[in-house]
Amino acid sequence: MKRSRLVFRHIGQLLLIMLLLPVLSPSWADEEVRIGVLSHRGDVVTRAMWGPTADYLSAIIPGHRFTIRPLKFDEVNPVVDAGEVDFVLVNPGIYVNLEVKYRVSRIATLYNRRNDVPYKIFGGVIFTRKDHPEINTLEDLRDHSFMAVYSTSLGGFQMAMREMLDSGIDPYRDLKSLEFGGIHDLVVMSVLQGKVDVGTVRTDILERMASAGTIDINDFHIINPRQEPEFPFALSTRLYPEWPFSKVAHTADTLAQQVAVALLQMPHDHTAALAGKYAGWTIPLDYQPVHDLFLELKLPPYQNLGKFTLSDAIDRYRYWLLGGLLVLLFMLFMTFWVMRLNQELHKAKNRLEQQHELILDSVADGIYGVDLRGRSTFFNRAAERITGWAADEVIGFNQHEILHHTHADGSPHRADECPVYQTFRDSQARYISDDVFWRKDGNSFPVEYSSTPIWDENGKTVGSVVVFRDTTRRKKAEEDSRQHQVELARVGRLSTLGEMASGIAHELNQPLTAISTNAQASIRLLESNSSNLDVCIDVMERIAGQADRAGEIIRQLRRFVRKEPLERAEVNINNLVNAVVVLIRPEIRRANVTLELDLDRDLPRISVQPIQIEQVILNLARNAIEALQENQQDERKLSIHTRRVGEQRIEVWVRDNGPGIKPEVADTLFDPFVTSKSQGMGLGLSISHGIIGAHGGKLVVNSAYQEGAEFTFYLPLLEAS
Amino acid sequence: MDQTTPTVFVVDDDEEVRNALKLLLESVGLPVICYASALDYLEKFDERLPGCLVVDIRMPGMSGLDMQEKLAENPIHPPVIIITGHGDVPMAVRAVQAGAVDFIEKPFRDQILLDSVHRAIEMDAERRGEASRQSEIHEHLSQLTPREREVLDLVIGGMRNKNISEKLGITLSTVEAHRSRVMEKMQADSLSHLMRMMLTLEQDYGKP
Repeated sequence: MKRSRLVFRHIGQLLLIMLLLPVLSPSWADEEVRIGVLSHRGDVVTRAMWGPTADYLSAIIPGHRFTIRPLKFDEVNPVVDAGEVDFVLVNPGIYVNLEVKYRVSRIATLYNRRNDVPYKIFGGVIFTRKDHPEINTLEDLRDHSFMAVYSTSLGGFQMAMREMLDSGIDPYRDLKSLEFGGIHDLVVMSVLQGKVDVGTVRTDILERMASAGTIDINDFHIINPRQEPEFPFALSTRLYPEWPFSKVAHTADTLAQQVAVALLQMPHDHTAALAGKYAGWTIPLDYQPVHDLFLELKLPPYQNLGKFTLSDAIDRYRYWLLGGLLVLLFMLFMTFWVMRLNQELHKAKNRLEQQHELILDSVADGIYGVDLRGRSTFFNRAAERITGWAADEVIGFNQHEILHHTHADGSPHRADECPVYQTFRDSQARYISDDVFWRKDGNSFPVEYSSTPIWDENGKTVGSVVVFRDTTRRKKAEEDSRQHQVELARVGRLSTLGEMASGIAHELNQPLTAISTNAQASIRLLESNSSNLDVCIDVMERIAGQADRAGEIIRQLRRFVRKEPLERAEVNINNLVNAVVVLIRPEIRRANVTLELDLDRDLPRISVQPIQIEQVILNLARNAIEALQENQQDERKLSIHTRRVGEQRIEVWVRDNGPGIKPEVADTLFDPFVTSKSQGMGLGLSISHGIIGAHGGKLVVNSAYQEGAEFTFYLPLLEAS
Repeated sequence: MDQTTPTVFVVDDDEEVRNALKLLLESVGLPVICYASALDYLEKFDERLPGCLVVDIRMPGMSGLDMQEKLAENPIHPPVIIITGHGDVPMAVRAVQAGAVDFIEKPFRDQILLDSVHRAIEMDAERRGEASRQSEIHEHLSQLTPREREVLDLVIGGMRNKNISEKLGITLSTVEAHRSRVMEKMQADSLSHLMRMMLTLEQDYGKP
């Protein structure tokens, strides 16, 4: 719809142009020169007033067609800026702005026509009604109501304001009220009718109204009256030049010159001048007074000089302000962020502290800190639980005197021997595996503990941390384990004896048979002839010897199966070997084995559990005898040697000339339940290995021995406890 | 050594037991010879010596059982009494099956051992008597000529003289002469006596 109308309009324009074409054709090719004219009374009036002037110029200056472009007040700046006009005709106020902003330059000044007299200058008049005798000077205006035409009106306000400011009156601040009437006549009428005390209008308004009969000029009193030569109107302000005709920056100087010449040559009663209600043009006047006025009033283009309001600042420093604001916002954000960060750090710190405390309190080991003076600095929950002391009963007090004052045997533990203090002295961490701490209830408990120095950031020892553990249970477990080993060894012995029972029974039968037979023979001898007494005495002695022999075997048996006490005894290992020989003799005999004993006579006594060592020797000897039964060719030999090796140890080796250890079983020889025998549980070597280990020695098979098997064990002479 | 006095041979590796046995057996007047091992005895073995053996079944070297087996290789040897320890009964049973006359568990009552020893000595004497009779018959047989031996075998087989003469192709009177010489050389009173003698040999040694 809109579009079609547009098309119609274009067609209409085209038709109009076609109609006008023959008429306008001579000037059709002329260059258009646009004159922007301030239009404060509507475009039609403006064109009517200034159209003739344009036509005048078009007629005078060949090759150019001058047109009028009416400009509303707010259109002036953008149009000039955009270069849409070539000349401008505006009031002096606007002109000085354009001059500053867009470098327009005046080429002529208007002669205003007043009562057919041309005036190229004008001013403002401030007046009051005659019946205000108290208002005589500008200073008297203070606290009176005031009306002007409008705030940007040069003659209708700004000129008067300049004078008032010079007299120390700020119309915006010092007056009782400030109104703008909008029309000059209205201002005059308002003062006349007493609506306001004082008014200001352009010069000649009062005279014009008086000549029109609207007012009587004598009803008014002129404030700050001034006399200027050749200026007949009532005047209160300085005088200022009339409207200038100016060229815009882009307009060619030659054209401007032509226009200026044309304007200056215009007769003052030319129809164009009459239409524009002016009286021709004069050479451009000095517009400095207008500049001064604006400078003084701090009006554009001088609005930023001197008077520096907030809005001025905002306007001028917009980007700085924006930047500042951004920086402020950024800093605000940063502050907020840092605050948050700080808060989070604080939380994290608390959490870490809690965690730290939680860890300290949830570990099962007792932990406490000690400062250089031996006072406890912290005491965790496990430490409280284990010792029975509450943290606040210990913290700040001497830990040694509380926990560590006495040895296990009841002798006092001197503080200077305390490992915790020694840690301070040499800054070395310590581990004590066997000690006692004292509970609050006065009982001691076995502990293992470590004492670790705490260093400050300079590496200087400032205390120590003690981590301790109640080893009661572990000790008990160790004891149980030892007991278990003892039991196992005993079971092993019982099992061995079970295997040996028939042989031992035979071995017992021998002396019993000898005893029985001897005794019965003696009876017969004595019955047949009592003179056989001497013989019988000999026999009795033999009987007693045999009884001893049987008794020895029984004794060894009982020893061997007894639940022996765990105490060790200082013994000669040779005696143990001999005791074992008693038990293995039947097997040796039955297996037709030759026993060779090579016992070191200078063997020192050694602290062992005798039965267990015998058990080892017995196991090794029986294994050898069993192995020897596979030997069908050679003489079966079993050798048991004892030997002292230096000051360190005693060695015992049991050697046979049987088939030797099969390589495939060599690795698992000492494992339990590994056996090559049809009978037996395979515990013998495993138990033996355990027994020798418990004595701090070692049981090994000598793989280098090729003629059979050789097992060696050694026992340390000074067993490290 | 007096070949008629039976001796008790004690084989035991345990000297004390050996000595005690010797004392006991000597207390009843029996001569005793002790050996410390089976090999020792076998080395000095003399089949002519009568008596009996008292052997510990369990000994190093050669056991009583092995020794018994060795002895059995000889036609004449003293009867074996096995002394066993506790728990060796299965071995003792094996010994008896192999010809041991008795086994005694240690320790033992003296009378039991002595009775057993006496029985064994008697048995040895009997065996030795039998053995001497047989060797006598053998000796008589060895005096026969081959023809006489032929005649003897046919007579033992139950043939009458006439049949023998036909079989051998000799005259009846020659058969009768051979037969009377056989009776004389064998020192047989009658045909039944001769038959018994030959039967004894067959029983003990099988068919010659």
